[in-house]
Amino acid sequence: MSQPQPKHEHYYDDKQVEPGIPNQKESPKRRQLSQKKRNMISGYLFISPFYLLFAVFGLFPILFSFYLAFFKWDGLGEMTFVGLNNFVIIFNDPLFWKSLYNTIVIGLMGTAPQLLAALLLAFALNSALVKGQSLFRLAIFLPYVTSIVAVAIVFSVIFSNQESGLVNSIIGLFGMDPITWTRSEWGTKIAIATMVFWRWVGYNTIIYLAGMQSIPKDLYEAAKMDGASLRQQIIHITIPMLKPFILFTVFTATIGALQLFAEPQIFQGRGGRPEGISVVLYLYRDAFSSNFFGTASATAIVLFVLIIIISTINMYFTNRIGGSDKVGAK
Amino acid sequence: MKKSWSIAFLLVLAVFLAGCSDSSSTEENENASEGDVKTVGSEDAEVELSFWLFGADYESLVEEYVEENPNVSIDIQQISMADHHNNLFTALSAGSGAPDMAAIEVSEIDKYKGAQDKFYNLNEFGAKEIQDNYLDWVWEIGSSVDGEFQFGIPTDIGPTAMFYRKDVFEEAGLPSKPEEVNELMQTWEDYEKVASTVLEKTGKVMVDNPETVFNAKKDQAPEQYFNKDGELIIDSSPYIKDAFMNVSGMIQEDYIGNYELWSPEWGEGMSNGSFATLPGPAWMRDTIKNNAPDAENWRIASMPEGAGNWGGSWMTIPKQSEHPEEAYKFLKWLLAPEQQLKSFKNNGMFPSTPEVYEKEEFKNITDDYYGGQNVAKIFADAALEVEHVHKGEQYGDANMEVVQGLYNVYDGADPEQEWEDIISRIERRLSR
Repeated sequence: MSQPQPKHEHYYDDKQVEPGIPNQKESPKRRQLSQKKRNMISGYLFISPFYLLFAVFGLFPILFSFYLAFFKWDGLGEMTFVGLNNFVIIFNDPLFWKSLYNTIVIGLMGTAPQLLAALLLAFALNSALVKGQSLFRLAIFLPYVTSIVAVAIVFSVIFSNQESGLVNSIIGLFGMDPITWTRSEWGTKIAIATMVFWRWVGYNTIIYLAGMQSIPKDLYEAAKMDGASLRQQIIHITIPMLKPFILFTVFTATIGALQLFAEPQIFQGRGGRPEGISVVLYLYRDAFSSNFFGTASATAIVLFVLIIIISTINMYFTNRIGGSDKVGAK
Repeated sequence: MKKSWSIAFLLVLAVFLAGCSDSSSTEENENASEGDVKTVGSEDAEVELSFWLFGADYESLVEEYVEENPNVSIDIQQISMADHHNNLFTALSAGSGAPDMAAIEVSEIDKYKGAQDKFYNLNEFGAKEIQDNYLDWVWEIGSSVDGEFQFGIPTDIGPTAMFYRKDVFEEAGLPSKPEEVNELMQTWEDYEKVASTVLEKTGKVMVDNPETVFNAKKDQAPEQYFNKDGELIIDSSPYIKDAFMNVSGMIQEDYIGNYELWSPEWGEGMSNGSFATLPGPAWMRDTIKNNAPDAENWRIASMPEGAGNWGGSWMTIPKQSEHPEEAYKFLKWLLAPEQQLKSFKNNGMFPSTPEVYEKEEFKNITDDYYGGQNVAKIFADAALEVEHVHKGEQYGDANMEVVQGLYNVYDGADPEQEWEDIISRIERRLSR
């Protein structure tokens, strides 16, 4: 009973406003313009806090780091223009290429299996197979709200270099030698990728789950009627319908992977080491432990260009998920 | 309905957990990273001085000072060491926001030596007059290379000694009383002999990790990575290379463990007696106590071939300060011998003023944890042995590469090859 009433009132309000419009038209043009302007100004005022803050804390630093990339500067003394020399230095530095390689390898190790696992977990949570769904949903999302620092510290205890460390004891049961997790080429990458996996899998699961719940049930019912198997349902209904969600997660995961920083920094301690150094850690070390702000800014620009390139490639491939003739293609 | 409840629960839990993780990470940093500002003194004092610290507890002394000088009030800001130095660097670089007085730690101070225009030269206020109160080498760390510009007044220091496990020495059939151990390990050669006995008899390593023993040797060298003109000299100067090769040799003999500084297993090793010795500074006393509260076997001997320094801070007055005279007057008082003695008694900050070392009440300080040894005297003797070494602005970078190289040797790299790599890595960094 209560619903139609406001509707009616609204309608009535509109009618009352309408006779006012010709009145406004009669008033001088200047006033009408100023009213429009006033609306505009108040509109801009409403959105200005974000843009002002962004300009000060976002845009200015971004532009300034573009500028800095062409200078040699220790943060306190004079800035000297060095042209492209900073880029020459980092491109000639094997450690930069190593950091790039690490970032990509750890990114692939941490995100590809993670998105797949998230998809399967979301499917399990969405199906009627699991009892106590809300509990599981909660449990799986918990790692996401844990502080990265805490995660890295706990994982560095798990992946301890000592023979008595948790992972080393377990692999010891299978007769393997203990691994120096913080300093070996693959040990470090596995440990860091595991951290990334553990922390983000829940976040992506929840996004996929939300996506799955938005798929109309009748599609599945129709498929069942036609005798589609579970596998066919996943491939021909779930995945195509999830395409926008998959795009989103691949996108954020890629950018997140390229910005990998806290995990290796805390896991390897202090300045990091070549086995685990990521591009962001590389530029962080230049800027904040050695005060080489020029090369750090140049690295940031290289990273920026890289993120654009990789995201574009990603979009190109992810767009093809599910093909074009399937239900979800529209 | 059920769904909305679970969402609400999730939100509450998220907030709760975020709160938890926040507090645990701030405990990690010892102090809240947002900072903890406390004003001491009356609100209508004529001069208000801001004072940035990263842990040193001077509150009771500041209260004492303000009581005698009611025209001054002091805002103490305490934050974690890393944040403290970041904030200070940013404020100096930006040209505003710096405090009237700021502590700078020994590992950071060389970075600022190129920026004399950002600080007051304390010699302008008569710092030369109080210079004799302080150990020469400590004073020199706070000066420019030519000694004309004084950046800061010394606070506490970290003279080093050799911490060792009495029980491990006994197990190896070696003498274990501090005087006997001093006798036993006078040189690094002796130290290696003991290491071989310990390994043979107990199967334990002599020292926690390559870094601490390398530091101990490096700190005894008259020159390190750079000369006073800022040139890299490790290629021609023998000391750092010798220390590196020496430690590499000890690594290959299995005398050195893999307990990285500040890692959980490092603390565990202290408590279990996994390594026989730990070369460390005065403040390591408390680190060992906290990590191994139940161990009764740690003792302190002197460092073979002479002590070094690890730690300490200098109090500076940034150029942005509007009250440099008042700030200097306060710092001069705060860091005078009498107050340094109080800081040592209250908070264990080891004094940089040798006059204190002569006082009976200082000499007689003992520590039951270390078997009732006269701990203050041991480190005072060490402090008197230390010599000043020039470090240079990029010291931290260079040292990091060498430490990394030592761990590479631990993991199987060839020392000669690694040494070449270290030099090229350092040169590449210096080219930036």
